[in-house]
Amino acid sequence: MASHFRCENVMVRFGGVVACNDVSLDVEEGKIVGVIGPNGAGKTTLFNVLSRFQDFSEGKLFYREQRIDRFRPHQMVRLGLARTFQNINLFVEQSVLSNILIGSHCLIGNPLASLFWLPGARRTEQELTERAIETAALLHLERDLDTVVKHLPYGHQKRVELARALASRPKIILLDEPVAGCNDEESAELEKIVRRINRELGITVVLVEHDMSMVMSVCDYIYVLNFGANLARGTPAEIQSNPDVINAYLGKEE
Amino acid sequence: MNEMGAAGRRFARGNALEAANLAPEAAAHAQRQRLALADAKARFQKQNWVGTVALFAVAALFPVLPGVEGWMAYTVALVIIYVIATQGVAVLTGYTGLVTVGHGGFLAIGAYTSALLTKHYHTELITGLIAGGLMSAFIGCLLGLIFLRLSGAFMAIGTLGFAFFVGTIVNNVNLFEGREGISLPKNRILIWEIGDVGFYYVALAVFALTTLLVYCLVRSGVGRALMALRDAEKAAESCGINRVFYRTLAFSLSAFITGLAGVLNGHIVRFIASEVYADIWYSVDFLVAAIVGGSSFLMGPLLGGIFVALLPFFLEELRELAFILKGVALILVLMFAPAGLAEVFGRPWRAWRRNKLERVRNDGARVSRASLDKLTKLEAR
Amino acid sequence: MFGQQVMSGLATGSLYALTAVAVVVVFRNTRVINLAQGDFAMIAAFLGIVFLKNFQLNYYLMLPLVILCSMLLGVLVERLVMRPIADTDWLTLFTATLGVYYILHGVAGWVWGRDTKAFPVTFDAKPISVFGTLVSEGHLFNMAWAVCIGLVLFLFFKYTKQGIAMRAVTDDPETAKLMGIPVRFIVLLTWAMAGFLAAFAGILLAPIVYVSPEMMDEVLVKGYVAAVFGGLYSIPGAILGALMIGVAENLAGGYLGAHYKTATAFAMIVVLLTFRPKGLFGIQARREI
Repeated sequence: MASHFRCENVMVRFGGVVACNDVSLDVEEGKIVGVIGPNGAGKTTLFNVLSRFQDFSEGKLFYREQRIDRFRPHQMVRLGLARTFQNINLFVEQSVLSNILIGSHCLIGNPLASLFWLPGARRTEQELTERAIETAALLHLERDLDTVVKHLPYGHQKRVELARALASRPKIILLDEPVAGCNDEESAELEKIVRRINRELGITVVLVEHDMSMVMSVCDYIYVLNFGANLARGTPAEIQSNPDVINAYLGKEE
Repeated sequence: MNEMGAAGRRFARGNALEAANLAPEAAAHAQRQRLALADAKARFQKQNWVGTVALFAVAALFPVLPGVEGWMAYTVALVIIYVIATQGVAVLTGYTGLVTVGHGGFLAIGAYTSALLTKHYHTELITGLIAGGLMSAFIGCLLGLIFLRLSGAFMAIGTLGFAFFVGTIVNNVNLFEGREGISLPKNRILIWEIGDVGFYYVALAVFALTTLLVYCLVRSGVGRALMALRDAEKAAESCGINRVFYRTLAFSLSAFITGLAGVLNGHIVRFIASEVYADIWYSVDFLVAAIVGGSSFLMGPLLGGIFVALLPFFLEELRELAFILKGVALILVLMFAPAGLAEVFGRPWRAWRRNKLERVRNDGARVSRASLDKLTKLEAR
Repeated sequence: MFGQQVMSGLATGSLYALTAVAVVVVFRNTRVINLAQGDFAMIAAFLGIVFLKNFQLNYYLMLPLVILCSMLLGVLVERLVMRPIADTDWLTLFTATLGVYYILHGVAGWVWGRDTKAFPVTFDAKPISVFGTLVSEGHLFNMAWAVCIGLVLFLFFKYTKQGIAMRAVTDDPETAKLMGIPVRFIVLLTWAMAGFLAAFAGILLAPIVYVSPEMMDEVLVKGYVAAVFGGLYSIPGAILGALMIGVAENLAGGYLGAHYKTATAFAMIVVLLTFRPKGLFGIQARREI
């Protein structure tokens, strides 16, 4: 199995607090990888490191064996990495279509050509719009294309964010708590969508999630973090029976 | 390596609708509906074009109307210059979300660049416009880089500092001749001398160009990127938008447009002195015009510019009353039309369009002939 | 010479501080960059003339009356203009204060005219020796007042119920509301305090710059710059910023030439914002602005 994306021995400090201590993670091509851990385990920090929103003091970051330690977030998208946010972070005043189009920003080509509508820019624009509509259809959003995002229900907004991430045609997608705040029905639907993204579109998925049932049913393998450090790695079955993990979640009996 | 499904390969080719595994008839319906909507939107766009062209046509006829004298053309040209400068502010404040109280500085840069070229090298107006605009854009680019990390009120005060800085320089550096000022000869386009009416057409032409520029900007991927940065900076970066590049680009474009206005402003009066350009009230007025008009609407700068520029004209005698009225009007607009006059005037228009789109969506199969042709072509592909 | 420049710089700086502190207090409680702050002071100075000349009042009788009127003006502006639009974004609020600026400018010009007026009370330029440096009496008087006001503010924020409630609103308006603090009243009080500070700024500045509708424009802008030094958030930061600006521009004026006086403050702000985009005192504003 080829390593698609990995970090080695990542260290992040906030003042005196160590948010990530020597964390390593290896994401294999085409898999769904879960990252779990109790509150404050450093999951979100790790996520921000992986998408380059957070700098780290020590450690290495690889994308297909290419060192990307100092990439800026927008460069990650060019590499083929897209992410979503824990609390939905959409352009709420704009329509669903615009949101998805913004997601496909890395495909507009030369920005100056786009600005002055040079020949080719019009065609690119048309293609991007068509693709945006197709992406929306994939996530059952085709009826809401012209709706302003802030008027949509929560579950829809989650899917818009996913659509926006998919619009950049990523090879790997980072989902930060995709079902947080969703009801059972919405969760089940998102779970299905995550599976399809992986199986049918061949996109590698990394997801941080609190909802254990989703992680256990969807992931190929799981990393467990505790107090900012690696605790365990294994298949869902292995994790569920790992005594360290059980201790971390339920508290150690002294 | 997990086997990429057939649908995945189709998606990779850019055909997600098939990938979505919709039933063929549902897919066809969706496609038809989409085309109907696109068709309706294209018609709206055409209406926009016709409306704008009509507006410019009326403006172009204005000086030749009976009873219109040279000074009227001169006055309207001054208003147009105000509107152009406001467009520059709107690019930065409205679309990019960076509040600027310093665009009077760019007005000065445009005006002085062209004035000095005219004085020392006897250049004509078009050269002046290009040079003034580019000089202003260059300084704008630098300022954008210097203020890269500023936002909100800090940006407002930083840009105010810039305006003061430019003011001090033109006041004190000998090249700019301070309060003595620079007098310009009669304006020339290439080799022809122009008077007030001629200048009116030059201003109108520049206005048409800047309007086109802003229009293209807003509808392009670049405009989308700027608005994305304005609405949610982190999310925008996660979409692959290069914050440094686009902020600097917005600064340059905005400075370019206001710089053009500066060149015109200098040449219409034919006298440039630090007394006028060191004053920060230009900067404040442009911001007010952008906000009152509605800075994220294409027509906003026009309405706001007229509002701010014309009020003192009508009340020349009653200076203090003009001040009070300006303040009251400004507060009333903010209370009752916080998104700007353009938003209020455009309301019925947009409601009509929304209804129309809703109707098209509801009986999606109703497609115009042209789109049906397009549809069959698409299906044949 | 140097010591003298520094001393008179501190004196000017302490007047900037009055404006800067008012800007900070209003901003951190209401998100409003108050462009009308200078005009509150300008109106106060005109009222001072009215009370001293037309009513023949004594200086120390005039002062409380002017303070009262000025606080009332602040409260009026809050009730009539700012409260109806309190929920909008900061840019709208900012522009609204510009509207107030125009109105007050117009009213002052209408009632009292555009030409500058001398303030009836002036101070001798007679220098007094303090620690070996010569300081004019007026500067000393202003500095003494500024220090007193600073002390009053400190005690107010530290010990009174209203002062503590005000700080709570600054820190977190939502929680403050839940804790039963009357946020609306506190906001009103904030504007009254802006008026209070403006009254002193106007009265103390009046003998130095003459009274006219435009008298405060430059001071106001310097006040903002000073407020930015404190990150628009910290009162001590704003005071320190104001003193630094006062001294720096006096030195620049003395050694480089008078032209560079105004530019100094802005050169400082451009440099500051380039390296510390949230102000010198690194206090992260809690609310996104």
